[in-house]
Amino acid sequence: MGSAIEAKTHKNMPGADKEADLTERIEAFLADLKRGGCGTGPIRGSGETARETTALLRKVTAQARWSSAGDLMEIIRKEGRRMTAAQPSETTVGNMVLRVLKIIREEYARSRGSSEETDQQESLHKLLTSGGLSEENFRQHFVHLKANVIEAINELLTELEGTTDNIAMQALEHIHSNEVIMTVGRSRTVEAFLKDAARKRKFHVIVAECAPFCQGHEMATNLSKASIETTVIADAAIFAVMSRVNKVIIGTQTVLANGGLRAVNGTHTVALAARHHSTPLIVCAPMFKLSPQFPNEEDTFHKFVSPHEVLPFTEGEILSKVNVHCPVFDYVPPELITLFISNIGGNAPSYIYRLMSELYHPEDHDL
Amino acid sequence: MSSRGGKQKKGNVTSEQEEEEQPLQAVLVADSFNRRFFPISKDQPRALLPLGNVAMIDYTLEFLTSTGVQETFVFCCWMSNKIKDHLLKSKWCRPTSPNVVHIITSDLYRSLGDVLRDVDAKNLVRNDFILVYGDVVSNIDVSQALQEHRHRRKVDKNISVMTMVFKESSPGHKTRCEEDDVIVAMDSKSKRVLHYQKTQGLKKLQFPMNIFQHGSDEFEIRHDLLDCHISICSPQVAELFTDNFDYQTRNDFVRGILVNEEILGNQIHLYVTQDGYGARVSNLQMYDSVSLDMVRRWVYPLTPEANFTDQQGQGCTHSRHNVYRGAEVSLGHGSQMEENVLIGRDTSIGANCHISNSVIGNNCTIGDNVVLDRAHMWNNVHVSSNVEIHQSVVCDGAVVKEAVRLNKQCVLAYNVVIGPNLSLPEGTVVSMHHPEEEEEDDDDEFLSDDQEVGHTFNPAEVGPEGKGYIWKASMNDTEDEELAQCLWAFQLEVLGTLQRGLEENIVCDNLVLEINSLKYAYNITLKEVMQILTRVVLEYPFQQQGTQLTTLQYTGSLLPLLKTWSPVFKNYIKRAQDHLDCLSAVEELFLEQDTHQTAMVKVLMKMYQLEILEEEAILKWFSTGATNDKSRQLRKNQGVSTTYRAYTEQQERHCVGKGIFFSMEGAVRRTSVCGTVRPVQTPGLNTEVFLSSSAPEVYPVVERSRG
Repeated sequence: MGSAIEAKTHKNMPGADKEADLTERIEAFLADLKRGGCGTGPIRGSGETARETTALLRKVTAQARWSSAGDLMEIIRKEGRRMTAAQPSETTVGNMVLRVLKIIREEYARSRGSSEETDQQESLHKLLTSGGLSEENFRQHFVHLKANVIEAINELLTELEGTTDNIAMQALEHIHSNEVIMTVGRSRTVEAFLKDAARKRKFHVIVAECAPFCQGHEMATNLSKASIETTVIADAAIFAVMSRVNKVIIGTQTVLANGGLRAVNGTHTVALAARHHSTPLIVCAPMFKLSPQFPNEEDTFHKFVSPHEVLPFTEGEILSKVNVHCPVFDYVPPELITLFISNIGGNAPSYIYRLMSELYHPEDHDL
Repeated sequence: MSSRGGKQKKGNVTSEQEEEEQPLQAVLVADSFNRRFFPISKDQPRALLPLGNVAMIDYTLEFLTSTGVQETFVFCCWMSNKIKDHLLKSKWCRPTSPNVVHIITSDLYRSLGDVLRDVDAKNLVRNDFILVYGDVVSNIDVSQALQEHRHRRKVDKNISVMTMVFKESSPGHKTRCEEDDVIVAMDSKSKRVLHYQKTQGLKKLQFPMNIFQHGSDEFEIRHDLLDCHISICSPQVAELFTDNFDYQTRNDFVRGILVNEEILGNQIHLYVTQDGYGARVSNLQMYDSVSLDMVRRWVYPLTPEANFTDQQGQGCTHSRHNVYRGAEVSLGHGSQMEENVLIGRDTSIGANCHISNSVIGNNCTIGDNVVLDRAHMWNNVHVSSNVEIHQSVVCDGAVVKEAVRLNKQCVLAYNVVIGPNLSLPEGTVVSMHHPEEEEEDDDDEFLSDDQEVGHTFNPAEVGPEGKGYIWKASMNDTEDEELAQCLWAFQLEVLGTLQRGLEENIVCDNLVLEINSLKYAYNITLKEVMQILTRVVLEYPFQQQGTQLTTLQYTGSLLPLLKTWSPVFKNYIKRAQDHLDCLSAVEELFLEQDTHQTAMVKVLMKMYQLEILEEEAILKWFSTGATNDKSRQLRKNQGVSTTYRAYTEQQERHCVGKGIFFSMEGAVRRTSVCGTVRPVQTPGLNTEVFLSSSAPEVYPVVERSRG
């Protein structure tokens, strides 16, 4: 009853109504994130999460009350902190918040007419002194800032839309006829990549099923529907089969700041087997998966879900006698990776630091 | 902006769905209507007890919200104000909450039935709704069950009234609650429930034949089901509860629907899920296992570190071996958190402690060298050094002093102090409330020491500095209490029926009919019906004319009644066992009314003459089963009859001897106890008649029992 009355009072003031609508959207998104991913990974792909986050941040920019870039950054930071806390394993959300912050910085700098922010030259000296460029520099008010920021965010959204296609477009450069390709689990990006290559070339894909969630089965079904010759193998057979494989192409959940991966369980096995056989390991990762996080941040790095898939709850008595864990992610160190393919082209793991500095502002790394 | 386009499309789809489906509603019963958690629930309603440092009702609400419920009615009775306060402060009552929570309180709810009748009276539900208790912890996605339910309702024209959600789990599963163990017969294809029975305490199960002949090709009898206590109900359920005012629980309802299926044509269906987790915290054992399951992440994404209640400062981190730490936790040197440990914020733990499988609340202090295994500690608990706690619950504000050992299944209720140097035996329950103050109306939640005038703490029980009273009630006998309540209600009904029968001169056949219907309503076995009937009839004179009756007056008014109601008795007492049961009921009554013991012979005599009881049964009863002193004494009174029979027939030498011995001793005792010897002698003469005639048949029985 109370809520109905409140809703009415809100309607009297359009501003408040807008704000209420905004908080409602944010709450819904947060709740979604918290519930997201019952075991088999997120229901929607990380691409969609990235788009939704960005769209929500655009809404925040458009509807929240702010007068200067500093205010807006503060608001975005605050919401960003909540969003990342809701599901720490979903790094895409945090990445998008950082991207938007960077956009605001750039737009502010452009409005002021200084080229300081767009100057990407980074030096040790600059890193040390960057603390001096603090928030009071963003207090100036610009009329067009809002429109410009929104426009820039829209550009970002367009970029996000095209990531998978951009990556898939490069497929023909990497996949040649009659090759044997191994992949693990299911990645939407890899799926699109392989399908794109299959339009022109004939090749064979071996999919490791990726227990206990076995997303590999779904991947194999999808690939065979696109008339790609596909074989599903058990995870235990990865090493045995690797000698026949020409290339390993995998997706990932996150690309870490050191060029390592946080990818689905079993990826490390594949990477080690590939290294042993000197098979190139190619990672298809759109830019929005690049995270300024390093692999040592223990608590949020791992994600444990319900052990149901490992040992079904139906088992009965044994459950009280054993402890079952079901981690979702593996860490793959950068030295095992040959190449990253992102929507802006191929990069070696050692080049990740450079991409990082292009995408995010160093001051924003900690939200 | 193709992304925007996509969004709008999505929005359209959902709005279309909303047009055809009204918002999903739920009824949450935030009261258990039993006392399994007593004495803890004396201070705090069960729905607010913390499970993994989060109130249980929050789990239920989160479950409902995540399944897409948009409107929830929370019904509270016991300590409704506390629940209300909690909810108003929680995220559920924020204006942004997708799930609108309405709180409805009343002190008049006594059962689930009352709540649903109120739902019907207030016309709250418009469509299918989810019915849960406030202590259900679940992450089951019921949307599929909901879909199936709606589909059935569409196809079968509202025949299916309810879909119960069960989780598959094999027998012996530790999260299965013994009380809730059921055996279900269902149609494999349509998932229709054919038979539903609780199995607790049963060794033999019976299935009505008609379920096998129902025309379906395949059906399953399943015992591998865990009752999640989540049911999807159609609005008819509330109406049916109104129509059948005797339905108290969901069990009554299910049984009622199944019994009347052919008449009313309503059906109940089952949804069995393998994924997800769902359990009701229905007693302390379940509390222990559900809490551990939660820490072991079975209820993912409802895990401690998710902080789904969105409360400030409740967040914690999750690290290896399922160790969760809140903010500002300090751990002493050499202390180990082995596995499955959740520690709330601002808790400090001393040195060299071993903690495993435990949940520790906020603001607790724990001393050095403490061993905790399966301990459930709530907030502000103080534990001194050298304490061992195994599988116990320690409530808010409790203090455990030095060198105390809590063995398995101990409960320290709110603000209890224990120790030092004490070991509590298994299953000890300590509370600040005295067990006898139960009936008093306690408005003040916390009784300080000054108010404890009548009672003093026993240092032998709770330690020299201890505060609290030992509760003798173990966890299990509350069930008996519930059953006893049910029987008591039934007894009153039977009394009413008989009274009316007498006043309005109703034919015995109709009385039988009424009693039978009562039997079904209260779900009571035939044996209990017969025993209660006997009891009611025998107590009838006391009921009508007060307990001050003399024995003569009593028999005088009772015997005609027996004659009037003998057809009723005959209807229930048929097999040999019935006779014995009836006799034991008679015995029980006269043991209670010991001043009237002498009337018993007369009653038995009359019952024999009316052919309610057979002489064989009476003799068998007499010769066997004197279990305690009192009943032995009672038999000694009756022993007179044996004496007479023995004298007249002059058979079986040692039986005679024994008979004399009985009667002699009995007589002596009687004079000393109540001094009414005479009335026994007179019926004794009558007794002789019937006993002598039957003697030859009876002896073998007597002999056998001796041999």
